[in-house]
Amino acid sequence: MPLRWPAPSTMRWLILATLLVFWELMPRTKIVPELFLPSLSKTLAVLYSDRLEYVEALGVTLYEVAIAMLFACGAGILMGALGGGVALLRNLLLPVFSSLYAVPIVILYPIFTAWLGVGSESKIAFAGVYGFFPVMLSTAAGIRTIDPQYVLAARSMGATLSQQITRVVIPASIPTVLTGLRLGGALTIIGVVVAEMLTSAAGIGYLVTRYRTILDSPRVFAAILMILVLSVMFDVLARGLERRTLAWQTAGRRPRRSREIMQAVPAGAPA
Amino acid sequence: MTRTQIILTRLVLLGLVVATWELLPRLGFVNPRLLPPLSDVLTMLGQLLGRAQVQEAIWVTAAEVIVAFMIAVPLGAAIGVLIAENDYVGDIFRPMLFYVFSIPKSIFLPMFILIFGIGFGQKVAYAAFSTTFVVIMSAAAAVESVKADHILVARSYGATRGQILTRVYVPSMLPVLLETLRISMIFNFTGVMIAEMYASRTGIGHLIANWGENFQMRQLFAGVILLAVVAILFNEAVRYLESRCSTWRA
Repeated sequence: MPLRWPAPSTMRWLILATLLVFWELMPRTKIVPELFLPSLSKTLAVLYSDRLEYVEALGVTLYEVAIAMLFACGAGILMGALGGGVALLRNLLLPVFSSLYAVPIVILYPIFTAWLGVGSESKIAFAGVYGFFPVMLSTAAGIRTIDPQYVLAARSMGATLSQQITRVVIPASIPTVLTGLRLGGALTIIGVVVAEMLTSAAGIGYLVTRYRTILDSPRVFAAILMILVLSVMFDVLARGLERRTLAWQTAGRRPRRSREIMQAVPAGAPA
Repeated sequence: MTRTQIILTRLVLLGLVVATWELLPRLGFVNPRLLPPLSDVLTMLGQLLGRAQVQEAIWVTAAEVIVAFMIAVPLGAAIGVLIAENDYVGDIFRPMLFYVFSIPKSIFLPMFILIFGIGFGQKVAYAAFSTTFVVIMSAAAAVESVKADHILVARSYGATRGQILTRVYVPSMLPVLLETLRISMIFNFTGVMIAEMYASRTGIGHLIANWGENFQMRQLFAGVILLAVVAILFNEAVRYLESRCSTWRA
């Protein structure tokens, strides 16, 4: 072979590095106007000089994300477990919920701001609803993948119902719950940011919108960069947690293919 | 429960929701200014549909949704097939798509506004951008859903590449492809809505955001009901086709 391509992981870092270099060079060489894309160094400089403002905004956003996540994941996992586990609810309600999922939830946001004002409450409510549906649907789907043989085996060895639940169903559903948490977290971050961008008076999304209206591109990109880092960091952390807890369950399995990713993210996160 | 019982129970539940929405504000349990009774909202919806301004907004939104869809689906499908068919490209990009899913695409809206201004092009570009990733993902999934055994059998019976494509790939992928279209439409619709609500002069999303800001709750709820019904109907229509296509597929 005359040409050996580098390993995929090396290639990924190369692509990332190239993107960063382009981000720096394109505006500097005036190929792209500074207004559209301020250079990376300028963005970072602004981020550093205005760090107090950005950290404060990050605090507001994180607070909203944390509370919304509590609602979305708590209610989503609970309802999903009920909906997936109880046949009656499954037949009755799951199809209804997956039909409702087609509705772009963002159109509800004006209702939340009219009801709850432009403060944190409306963001929490919106992001909570935004995260709830996918978490519930993925939990319901995940609960059903528990091998019925396990429950059958436990039952035939004389396990009581409570033993079946605590010893079989709960341990077997941990992967599903963790996926639900990761999904819910990512979605509530998206929901909070979208809500802050649309109508608000604080938070990182608000900074994006405020600096956009006054055409201060470096500050817009500083906020964008912060959100990017925030969501990627959350994803890496959540995935790390999942891998740690699941090492014994996924050992020896093939790496996930696209189909499984799609199922783990039922239609994922619009917006 | 039998099928009829399930449908009946669902209708009863729907009736309960409708009755609650109508009665709570009427009986004074909630402020009708915050939650107008359903009948008022529906009357308003009828009036709105007759207004020229609203009709124009509906056409603008529909055009944006359709154009963005026609850009995002072929583009995403091409990349998705490449990722699924070429192992090297797949190994590079598949893990990256994980992260892309967890990033709020809306943060790039300011870029689209700076580049395209506030108008048709910007909304279409943003919606296509936010949809492409999910199309890539589901197209890759569709290609991978083709069973390798089927291809092997076809090839050993001497099928040509074209025959394998039309006789093995297309039939196996059809249900997943329909699912792809359905899911991309959800993303696409959401993308257009966000773009219109964020900065726009026309379109239903713009109207909804305006009604919300001006506290015109009847108009706001009417708009939400209209959009929700359209989205659900499209989704159910494609789902019906999906189930028709998968009955003969093992």
